Amino acid sequence: MADLKILAVDDSPTMRRIIINTLKRAGFNDVIEATDGKDALAKMKVEKPNFVITDWNMPEMDGLTFISTLRSQAEYKDLPVLMVTTRSVKEDIVDAMKAGVNNYIVKPFTPETLKAKIDQMLAG
Amino acid sequence: MSSADTLQEKIQKEIVELACSISDVVSSFKKLQRPLVETREQVPQATNQLDKITEQTEEITTRMLEVVEQITQREEEVIRGLRTIRQKATSDSSNVVDQLARELTTKAEDNLNDAYRIMEYLQFQDITAQQMDHAASLLENVEGKLHSILETIGAPRTAALRSAPPSVRKTRAYDPHADLVDKKTDQSDIDSLFAEKKE
Repeated sequence: MADLKILAVDDSPTMRRIIINTLKRAGFNDVIEATDGKDALAKMKVEKPNFVITDWNMPEMDGLTFISTLRSQAEYKDLPVLMVTTRSVKEDIVDAMKAGVNNYIVKPFTPETLKAKIDQMLAG
Repeated sequence: MSSADTLQEKIQKEIVELACSISDVVSSFKKLQRPLVETREQVPQATNQLDKITEQTEEITTRMLEVVEQITQREEEVIRGLRTIRQKATSDSSNVVDQLARELTTKAEDNLNDAYRIMEYLQFQDITAQQMDHAASLLENVEGKLHSILETIGAPRTAALRSAPPSVRKTRAYDPHADLVDKKTDQSDIDSLFAEKKE
């Protein structure tokens, strides 16, 4: 947990703040943030996070395009990606899986769900 | 009267009737123009109001988050302080002090949990902002169609008609199904989908 650096991507400042607070309470203190997929790709190069939490609906570059772009690069092939979004239509979830999302939470979420999903993903 | 005269009279009558019809249509268009122009001018006002609600709700939510963060920090300090008090309690007073510190710690932890619960509920802002964006997008669609109709019927170039089309004013990213309560797929079904994929 100590060496885990999480990138939280969401266009809503409120959501970024809630996610960061929830992560810190769960013991994940190293968290960086990005406002959309384009910003996230730029932060990936500099900050080198080893876990990504991303929203879907964002301006400039949406979450799905961001994940597809990540997965097209060899260095991010196995990077754990958790999608946290309002999209709960089954077809959307299947599209997210195809794009390379490792797990998926529908907003609004509880802190317990977020922590459980991260723990589950880290456990492999 | 020759048959040519009769035909000429018939054609003249038809032309007069056609002219009257065209005049009626033009008159109807003129009557339609004003309410259409007024609606075209009012729709962006409604859209702006929705955007204003989103901005102001976001601003207040941020302030509420700041307060909740301060509460959580103070409660964490209280819990740490009570832990120290319990460790330093003298043997004479240890039972009473320890009991009191335990009770206060439980209350402080309850406060902390409630503060995080408030933070969880503040996610409403992101969801209602997407609902507002959806409504604003539908209004922009109406505005765009009214704009085209007014241009087609040659309405006077009012300020509204000269303004930028709605599509170029703001980029909106939203989920049209965003909902606080109604999730189209349960989290347990989502988990099953991912579990199946893993197998």
